[in-house]
Amino acid sequence: MSPPHLKLVPTPEPAPFYAAAEKIYPREISGRFTRLREIAVIVLLGLFYGVAWLQWDGHQALLFDLPARKFHIFALTLWPQDFLYLTLLLIIAALSLFFFTALAGRLWCGYACPQTVWTELFVWIEQWTEGKRSRRMKLDRGPWTAEKVLRKTAKQILWVALAAWTGFTFVGYFTPIRTLGTGIATLSLGAWSTFWIFLYGLATYGNAGFLREQVCKYMCPYARFQSAMFDKDTLIISYDEARGEPRGPRRRGTAARTSGLGDCIDCTLCVQVCPTGIDIRHGLQYDCIACGACIDACDEVMDKMGSPRGLIRYTTEHALHAKATHVVRPRMMVYASLLLLAGGALMYSLFTRMPLILDVIRDRNALYREVHGERIENAYSLKVINLDDKPHAYRLAVSGMPGLELTAPAEPITVASGSVSDIPARLQAPVAAAGGVHRIVLTLTALDAPRIEVHEKTRFIGPAT
Amino acid sequence: MTPGAPSSHEPQRRSNALDIALVVWPSFLAACVASLLFFAVVDPELLRDAGPRLLAGIDREAGYALGFFFFWGIGALASTLSVYLIRTDRPARRGRGTS
Repeated sequence: MSPPHLKLVPTPEPAPFYAAAEKIYPREISGRFTRLREIAVIVLLGLFYGVAWLQWDGHQALLFDLPARKFHIFALTLWPQDFLYLTLLLIIAALSLFFFTALAGRLWCGYACPQTVWTELFVWIEQWTEGKRSRRMKLDRGPWTAEKVLRKTAKQILWVALAAWTGFTFVGYFTPIRTLGTGIATLSLGAWSTFWIFLYGLATYGNAGFLREQVCKYMCPYARFQSAMFDKDTLIISYDEARGEPRGPRRRGTAARTSGLGDCIDCTLCVQVCPTGIDIRHGLQYDCIACGACIDACDEVMDKMGSPRGLIRYTTEHALHAKATHVVRPRMMVYASLLLLAGGALMYSLFTRMPLILDVIRDRNALYREVHGERIENAYSLKVINLDDKPHAYRLAVSGMPGLELTAPAEPITVASGSVSDIPARLQAPVAAAGGVHRIVLTLTALDAPRIEVHEKTRFIGPAT
Repeated sequence: MTPGAPSSHEPQRRSNALDIALVVWPSFLAACVASLLFFAVVDPELLRDAGPRLLAGIDREAGYALGFFFFWGIGALASTLSVYLIRTDRPARRGRGTS
């Protein structure tokens, strides 16, 4: 402690280059877009927490079973061999993001991004346990009273429970959730499952409870590059400066224009409700996640003031400058056609997907073998992959050359679901017909489902003629 | 604007916490993508059977986890280098107002 006669003179410090993030207390709000966002939160989280428990045909309906290396998507079972679909799906996801960003701005950020959705849920819990904005601010400033301890503890318990359940559900999409649940109930959960549940729980808590808007501001790459998809016809949330300025307080019922003021009464409600803490009146900023909370706040104020709604509204840059907005424009056509192309390719390949693969490899040791001096034999090794979700028996047939016969395998080939069978095969043809190289076709057909049939070309080699 | 004050187009000196975030976060995202693509094609059990004795006894789940952390580590190494190179760049090239 410094002696009282010594006065500390603050040394001129360089301005801080990095401002510590100030806690944002988003004000509660109701209105059209808030309701839309609430519906989105309930539907999306309902799907997330609910679908994990759906069963389909004796297995979990949606399960990316990593331990077993197969994906169950309702009636469809995908194996690592179906890698193409994953690639197509990722391409479609990226293109959709481009398309919807160009069309309607940051719809994703405002309504569908897990960061927004879980933050919303965590804020609801916060409002429920700690009260409205002003009460929360007072509570944080005030001393640690019994009530504060109680409220904060209640919030933390609910947050941690929700985060743990989220981690559990998330891991439940990669390991069967019922097995996982039993494992927890009997305390026999594997080390890695425990680790991942803990990690995802921690991530949920950290992102939705603690980091919140900072994820969007400092961590999200999409927030930085989404402007590349924007043009003057993209739907944005904007403050109508021409209508609102000069802003200023006035008595209710005062005609704004006659007193030289714009429609903005400078109540700062649009700032208070903003989850990322920006002032939309400063123009479009990359911190804006386009949630529409400021629109709802401003509409309510405009209603009270007797002014028309929409001082802050969804609009486009063209519309703001009294020009026509074009929904159909070259950029949209390009995104849309690429999206249709990729979507069509995915649909086509899914509907024509053959759940059977046949690989034929010629025996490397000998070109051919003479049998009893009258027949020529070629040996092959077959790799039969059953991609269906049930076992099948397959019949092998050969064609493409007169007198060609299959001598092995004599029995139908049985392959379990999702398995690979290596089968040696031998073909014979009469010496008289076997000379030279022949192109032949092996056909594999499921006995119980003739639709499942593949053809594979190979060669049959006889003595040079 | 006062001379020496950072203007918006000059790179600003960042806090250590932000530097760590700049290393850890992008490499995490990259590790997610790398794991997804890599393990879609390669079964960790095949890798174990083909690999050195060191890997024996590792099951699939451990394989996925190890692979993920391996990719994360490599990504973090690359990010660290980038951040280090930016930090140690000649001050003159970074403009005034930075040390």
